[in-house]
Amino acid sequence: MKGFIGEFEELVLLTIASFGDQAYGVIIKDDIERRANRSVSIGALHSTITRLEEKGFVKSWLGEPTEERGGRRKRYFELTQTGKAGLHQMKNLRDELWKASGINLELAK
Amino acid sequence: MKKEIKPPVLADRLFERYCRNAQIEDLHGDVEELFYLNLKTMPIWKAKVYYWRQVFSLMFSYAVKRRKKNASTHAFASHSINLGMVSNYFLIASRSLVKNKFFSIINIIGLAVGMSVCLLLISFFSFITTYDDFHAERNNIYRVISKTNYKTELKEWASAPSFLAHHLKNDHTGIDEVVRVNASLNSDVEIDNNKIPISGYYVDPNFLSVFTYPLVTGNKDMALQKPNTIVITERAVKKLFGDVNPVGEAIKINNVDFEITGVLEDHPKNSHMQFEALASYQSIEKGSLNGADNLSLSNLKEFRDEYIYLLLPNAKNIHQLESYLNKQASKANGIEGYNIAFELQKLEDITPGRALSNSIGPAWDIQSLSAFIFIALLILLPASFNYANISIAQSLKRMKEIGLRKMMGGLQQQIFLQFIIETIIISLISLGLSFYLFTLIRQEFLAMLVSGDAISLDLNMQTILYFVVFAVLVGLVTGFVPAYYFSKLNPVQAMKKTPVRKASGFAFRKSLTVFQFVLSIVFITTVVIQLSQYRQTINYDFGFQQENILDVQLQESDPDLLRNEFSKLSSVAQISMSSNVLGVEGVPPVFLKNLNGTDSIKVFQMFIDEYYLSNLGLTLVAGRNFTSNKLSNNKIIVNESFLEKIGINDPSLALGQLFTINDQPQEVIGVVLNFHYAPLDQPIESFMFRYDVNQFRVANVKVASNDMLETLTEMDAIWRMLGGEKKFIAHFFEEEIEEAYSNYFVLVKLCGFLGFLAITISCLGLLGMVVLTVDSKIKEIGIRKVMGASTHGMVVMLSKDFIKLIFIASCIALPITYLFFDQVYMRTQYYKIPIGATEILISLGIIMSFGFFTILSQTMRAAQANPVDTLRSE
Repeated sequence: MKGFIGEFEELVLLTIASFGDQAYGVIIKDDIERRANRSVSIGALHSTITRLEEKGFVKSWLGEPTEERGGRRKRYFELTQTGKAGLHQMKNLRDELWKASGINLELAK
Repeated sequence: MKKEIKPPVLADRLFERYCRNAQIEDLHGDVEELFYLNLKTMPIWKAKVYYWRQVFSLMFSYAVKRRKKNASTHAFASHSINLGMVSNYFLIASRSLVKNKFFSIINIIGLAVGMSVCLLLISFFSFITTYDDFHAERNNIYRVISKTNYKTELKEWASAPSFLAHHLKNDHTGIDEVVRVNASLNSDVEIDNNKIPISGYYVDPNFLSVFTYPLVTGNKDMALQKPNTIVITERAVKKLFGDVNPVGEAIKINNVDFEITGVLEDHPKNSHMQFEALASYQSIEKGSLNGADNLSLSNLKEFRDEYIYLLLPNAKNIHQLESYLNKQASKANGIEGYNIAFELQKLEDITPGRALSNSIGPAWDIQSLSAFIFIALLILLPASFNYANISIAQSLKRMKEIGLRKMMGGLQQQIFLQFIIETIIISLISLGLSFYLFTLIRQEFLAMLVSGDAISLDLNMQTILYFVVFAVLVGLVTGFVPAYYFSKLNPVQAMKKTPVRKASGFAFRKSLTVFQFVLSIVFITTVVIQLSQYRQTINYDFGFQQENILDVQLQESDPDLLRNEFSKLSSVAQISMSSNVLGVEGVPPVFLKNLNGTDSIKVFQMFIDEYYLSNLGLTLVAGRNFTSNKLSNNKIIVNESFLEKIGINDPSLALGQLFTINDQPQEVIGVVLNFHYAPLDQPIESFMFRYDVNQFRVANVKVASNDMLETLTEMDAIWRMLGGEKKFIAHFFEEEIEEAYSNYFVLVKLCGFLGFLAITISCLGLLGMVVLTVDSKIKEIGIRKVMGASTHGMVVMLSKDFIKLIFIASCIALPITYLFFDQVYMRTQYYKIPIGATEILISLGIIMSFGFFTILSQTMRAAQANPVDTLRSE
């Protein structure tokens, strides 16, 4: 596997996954901002997506031109198999750690 | 949503401008969509501000950077450096070297010439950085150096008052050893009535254990324990004794007998102390030798030739020691405006190091080294400029290749790498040639240095490694500009072969040529002026005659006997005796006291006999000559400057005046016209002749015969007959004077060599430029000739631009040289000879003929070419 997944990258990957094959810049940004309650600049988002593409977690294609964006096409993103595997690995690792630290975390509550 | 509301146009334009041909329509769409979304929730101005922020966030984002990069390179491009490609670069480089033989040769010769001086510099540097690294204790040895401030004159000395050593030893803990060194052991050794000069130091007994100068024979702890003991180097043994074992022998130095207690190995050349002998310091502490008695040693001002070295176990207490030394000094400071402070200098900082007065051995201080570096760069840089110049000017030939590489996915940095590799190959080839030049000039260079003996430029692995690294560096620096230029070429333009010639590029090349010629002219003018200075100095009217006078060294033979025998020879016209040779060496001064008890006067003196004045053609303006030894005792003949000094205008009034030298009264009996008794860089000051047979060292024989060889043989025969065991030594006065000024030749040689290099490089550069211009105009010339232009007209048309450059260079260079000589150099000469127009014309002539020859050789060829040949093929 190429590279690790960072926190924001994980967020982006999961968001893309949640939209299926309909994910593109604006709705990803909106969704993250709404759910995570944090402000994300479009530049930072696209930088992250570009890196994820380089790592092979995400693939993209251009959509058809529409009226609403002055005729500019949207670029849609979708998880690749590697991306899915990476997320799974991440989740497994997290689950393991949660299980291991379960008692202590409960005490801390 | 109102129809007319649109995202800020300026931001859009900026964004599109910034991204150029990168594929960003989706990003642009995203920000625009966000803008319209925001309009629903916020005021227009806020939405616009937000839009601006998003655009900026995109512009600085990795996403755009990446897309721009993708857009600028071909889909096939690869960032990795492929070994196959690198070997292809080598292949292409060697092919283009062979293809453009002419320019390759120009470049290689130019760079080789430019690098040769740098090779000298590198081997020189790599040698002096090894100074003193053979001492086992090198990291723990320190030297006390002094800084004096006397009446606002600051000076730094390598030496320090020796009495401090005593204090350091007794009052301070934490010092392993204190070594005193006195460098005043410079005199003749008398051995079997021979006098052989020897130089060395008086040192404390622990010198040999602190410093690593191993003994061949003798005990290093005991050798210098006793007063009047001495150890000498193997080289000195050979000089003094030949092959005899000298240990136990006695040698006499300044009338003191020294016992040889050991023989030292010759010290390595890279030692900051250079000596032939080491005598025990106690020898001078007893006060048995002149000039170094005990009283003056305890004086804080007297530290000339006295050095203190310390062996410290650790570097921690350096500051403590320094403050201790300065506390000692402060007791005496401030008296008569005199202040002294001390510092500790690490052994490795001595050479190369700061410029200090009274240094113990050869001093390579950083200032003079930087001057050396400056000169080396002055020669190297024009050569590398030439390379850049020629490569860029030649770019048309390589355009297709570069265009194709770029089309096929060659990245900017890969093209850059290719041309850098090409330059490095050229500079490595140049290194070979340059190395050959280096071996040629190495010895000359050493001979030119003041302390060349202490330098070895022999090669070792390290220096060779430095050479190669240097050549690669030269390749990198030199190749940078052309490589950058080529890598920036637009592939479309390159394929179309449209030259992207910037107007500034050509101007830059022109100014470069001018600069190179300025350099050459300065060097050559210096050479010519120096030579004419030399010639004029030799023929200068010193105020006495020097023709046909043979100076015979008396070497302790009896002057009267010699005179009697020599005067029997028919070829000898006149003989006189003197203590010195006029105009060649400095004559010693004495202090003369006026009988009235006023201030004493510094007067240079020379001892002569009664024949001297007439023999050398010196003119008496008043009074009389010496008569004979007995009558002339306590009589002096003075010069005009002397009268000026004592304030007498009329020479005849001076006669009979009485002065004292060492309480002996002296009477002025004559006044001579001023003449140059010392070399021309010193002014004529007060001077007097005295008569003392015991002081005579030279017989001045005026030779009347034309057959010099026979005269010399006859004299030699008489010399042997008189029983002199020593060799007959005689020189012609004229030759001696010529020799005395031969140091002029050092500058001549140096500038001549540099001038030669500078001319070579400038002419090569000029040649390259002319050839390129001519080649690009070859068709034009053909058409012009077909239309009826004359060959002569063509030559003028092609040459005039370049000839203009040389004229501009002369206009810049001449004032510079003139100012340099007038303001700087001539200051060092007291009696300067004005720079004439002839010298300047000669040097200009040399440069111009070189330049014109270079230009004309090419333009003539082009102008004479048959238009049929040049126009036949397209």
